[in-house]
Amino acid sequence: MDLFLQQLINGLALGSLYALFGLGFGIVFATLGILNAAHGTYASWAAIIALAAVERLNLPFIPALLAGIFGGGLLALVVDQVAFQPLRRRAGGGMISALITSIAAWIILDSLAGTATGHQSLSFPRDSYPDTIFFVGGIPLPAIQIITVLSMLVVTVSLHLLIRRSRFGSAMRAVGWNQTAASLGGVNPRYVVVITAFLAGATSGFAGVLGGISTNNVSFHLGEGLMLKGFAAVVVGGYDDVRGTAVAGVALGVLEVMTAQYLSSGLRDGITYALLLGFLLLRPRGLFGSAGFSRA
Amino acid sequence: MQKWQKQISCQVAVALFTLGMQVGPASAQGLAPGEYKVGFITENTGAIASAGQSFWNGAQLAAEDVKAKKYLGDASIVLDPKESASDAARSIQAMNQFIADRSIIATTCCVLSPVAGALKPIVVGAKIPLVIFGATASGLPQPPWIYSMTILPGPKDIATAVKVADALKPKTAAYILAADNDAFKGRMAATQKTMEGKGVATAGVVSVLTKDTDFTGAATQAMGLKPDVILIYATQQAAAGAITALRDRGYKQTIVGNDVLSPAAMFQKMGPTVVGVPFPVSFSASIADTPEAKAFVSSYETKFKVQPDIYSAQGYQVVWFIAQGLKSISGAPTRESLATALSKITNIDHQVYGGQQIKDGQAETAGTLVVNWSADGKLVPWTPAK
Amino acid sequence: MQPLVDFWNAYRSTLTFALVNSFFALSTYAVLSVGILSFATVTFAAFGGFLGVRLVLQTGIDPLLALPAAAAAGALLSYVIALIFLRLESHWMALASLALILITRVLIINVPGTGGVNGLSVPVTLPFFMFALVLLVAIIIFWRLSASWYGIAARAVREDAAVASTLGIAPRRIQTVAFVISGAVGGLGGMLLALALQYLSPDTYFVNIAFTMIAAVVLGGSYHWAGAIIGAAVFTALPVIAQAIIPEFQDVANGVVLLLIMIFLPRGLIDPRAIRLHFAARKAVAQAPRDATSPAAGGAP
Repeated sequence: MDLFLQQLINGLALGSLYALFGLGFGIVFATLGILNAAHGTYASWAAIIALAAVERLNLPFIPALLAGIFGGGLLALVVDQVAFQPLRRRAGGGMISALITSIAAWIILDSLAGTATGHQSLSFPRDSYPDTIFFVGGIPLPAIQIITVLSMLVVTVSLHLLIRRSRFGSAMRAVGWNQTAASLGGVNPRYVVVITAFLAGATSGFAGVLGGISTNNVSFHLGEGLMLKGFAAVVVGGYDDVRGTAVAGVALGVLEVMTAQYLSSGLRDGITYALLLGFLLLRPRGLFGSAGFSRA
Repeated sequence: MQKWQKQISCQVAVALFTLGMQVGPASAQGLAPGEYKVGFITENTGAIASAGQSFWNGAQLAAEDVKAKKYLGDASIVLDPKESASDAARSIQAMNQFIADRSIIATTCCVLSPVAGALKPIVVGAKIPLVIFGATASGLPQPPWIYSMTILPGPKDIATAVKVADALKPKTAAYILAADNDAFKGRMAATQKTMEGKGVATAGVVSVLTKDTDFTGAATQAMGLKPDVILIYATQQAAAGAITALRDRGYKQTIVGNDVLSPAAMFQKMGPTVVGVPFPVSFSASIADTPEAKAFVSSYETKFKVQPDIYSAQGYQVVWFIAQGLKSISGAPTRESLATALSKITNIDHQVYGGQQIKDGQAETAGTLVVNWSADGKLVPWTPAK
Repeated sequence: MQPLVDFWNAYRSTLTFALVNSFFALSTYAVLSVGILSFATVTFAAFGGFLGVRLVLQTGIDPLLALPAAAAAGALLSYVIALIFLRLESHWMALASLALILITRVLIINVPGTGGVNGLSVPVTLPFFMFALVLLVAIIIFWRLSASWYGIAARAVREDAAVASTLGIAPRRIQTVAFVISGAVGGLGGMLLALALQYLSPDTYFVNIAFTMIAAVVLGGSYHWAGAIIGAAVFTALPVIAQAIIPEFQDVANGVVLLLIMIFLPRGLIDPRAIRLHFAARKAVAQAPRDATSPAAGGAP
């Protein structure tokens, strides 16, 4: 029972990372209609920037974290304007062109991240982040896991309120539906696109920094790993509802840890991908997504 | 001039000479003077770049040393690198290019055993010597064409586990294994058998994957088995992740590591979590005691600004091995004559281990040193009072 | 003469890989030409490759005879995949094919007979001219197809499936045929890659092939089969060239080239429409002085 609880908590923390990452990915897909293969690199780079802030500028935990988050958002913004904006001006091509362009960005950013880390996996120094372990009834609870889960909850709730209850959120949803119609309604699509890209990059960056700390692994592999799982969270949960993504991400994390513990670690990734494929084939809108609308 | 020879990296300040440009009479005894090219498949980018760079650095240093000490008289070895990023297809292409270049008399490669395996039939068919610097699978050498300078880690693992078991007398042991790495599977199985033979029961085996990034689940699983000692059989990132996760969750008992923990970069990455974890080492800069070893360490540090590790030593020995083969040849060497010369070597003249032999093409050292990192970043012999 | 021979030996393997990559590019093109973006080529290649190699290892037959078996295996798998996947909308289909590649890798590691993580050594190979010959056969098939009724129907379905169906073309059927062609060519390519590398591992058939092949098809021109081959050649040669010039950033070079193509040359290098327009414009200009008095105005539309 003890072991089960411990692994459950591990799964919750891991899943929160996936959820946090998936949120950013899902916003981009829902609002901008882009399947961004480069999204994982924002997380990798945020972790690299945060690590540099700690090592070069000697910043404490929170400022370094903020530096990473801001860096991730900025990077997403730059990629969007350099890679995707020229495509928007051109009609036609649609999702395929955007996907291929995002692949190009992914290749470039991944290689640069590899060069930045010297092709190694770096670690955050142990005194740069809270590493106390709380013991609740004999079960170890590392502080960083608590921070991860809380962050995921805060970001999910904030995003949900932003999208569903604010004017900007309505603008986002309008742009996601049809950019031209939205601009007819008085929305500035360019402004919405830019802010959305930044937000998406920032949440992924958040996941990247926390992931880099908790897994002791700052390298371009960090982003790739998060990317696939976050993508699964978005598909399983439903890409246009952040609550669905959050729930699905956490569920996937728990499922993964439990599979490794009680079945076999070789099947761990396989279960996630099988779920992904299953949902794509049978219920592409995910558990909580709204009924499908097709993008012209 | 053939165009692709312009692809030589500027790391190696090299002049291009073709074989036998000294038109003077080949001396009746001794190697003909000249620069002899060795094709080096580098792995300086890709997943194991830090290890790959160590090998390459060691080899470059050896080429310089051979020339400075005039070991081959007026002849010297020149390295021709081609990057493979640990990719099998690119390694094959690089090897084919080396084979086609008539001035290359020997080649060297590979950290990954499957890639080395893929290159074996190619070099045997093309009749060019290959000296492996890093792949750890046993059975790769195939004299007269294929040799390995890797100090095989398997027997060292067992010696380390035995030493720990004798000192601590644990009742149960858990193993953390990189399930997708056959070499580690074999090493773990051999150690497990020995341990069980000594009465240390296996509490369980926790599987991880080499590409994993999160080890909290595996650490929890291993601790849940309540073992007296945990032994790690995984590659660098996985081993580092597992050990850190174990310590993070408050595991205070002994963790036994393996040779992947020996490079200084691992201490830098892991810090206090790796202090006190015993592992076997065949070469270490802090425990170098022979004059050759000390000289190697100091010139490596001067040239590359970091301390050498076991990978640097293996890369270093590859070039010295080829040099030793060349030394015994009269006149201008060919690929065949070099292969024959290499197959006759049993004892390595210039080495940094305090003794190295070659048996059936496989390099070996005697004895096992069990060490651990101390808090100030030095390797010290392991003692049980932790 | 000797330098030529040496050059040939040095770059023969690069050329071989370029030929093999052409098969993957053609396979991707086959489905792209009916308007579907699918990465399933990699799975077909894995299936054909491992099946063909196991066949050779187990029965010792000539690898040449195993090629049709690999193609057939790929075609069979693709037929099954088509039945399941074609029900999906286009963007879900692309994602599903990506998930398929991930699952394929897990399967390769866990299914016995594939050598697991350590991979499989392939003791046989084919002489270079065989690769070229097989590619020639594939080219002839694609050429005849594009000039046939199927080719016209494919173009119609790609332009607008709804309109195509009003013209009496069944889009689902055309797309299934495209998938089967893609599977056959992909399976063949997979077996050829195994013979060229003489070594298979779970990473041999993975996302990097998928993304490179999409890039190759787009670069070469996704509207003509020749574009696929040219794109494959460029993307095989690119790492080798980049390594010669900027070894530190060779992977970045791939991405940068792809990005530039997408922004400036989205229809790729070989674009039948641009070629046709160009010739039509030239013809119209040549005609204009002669038809100066005719009421119909010349010039490109």
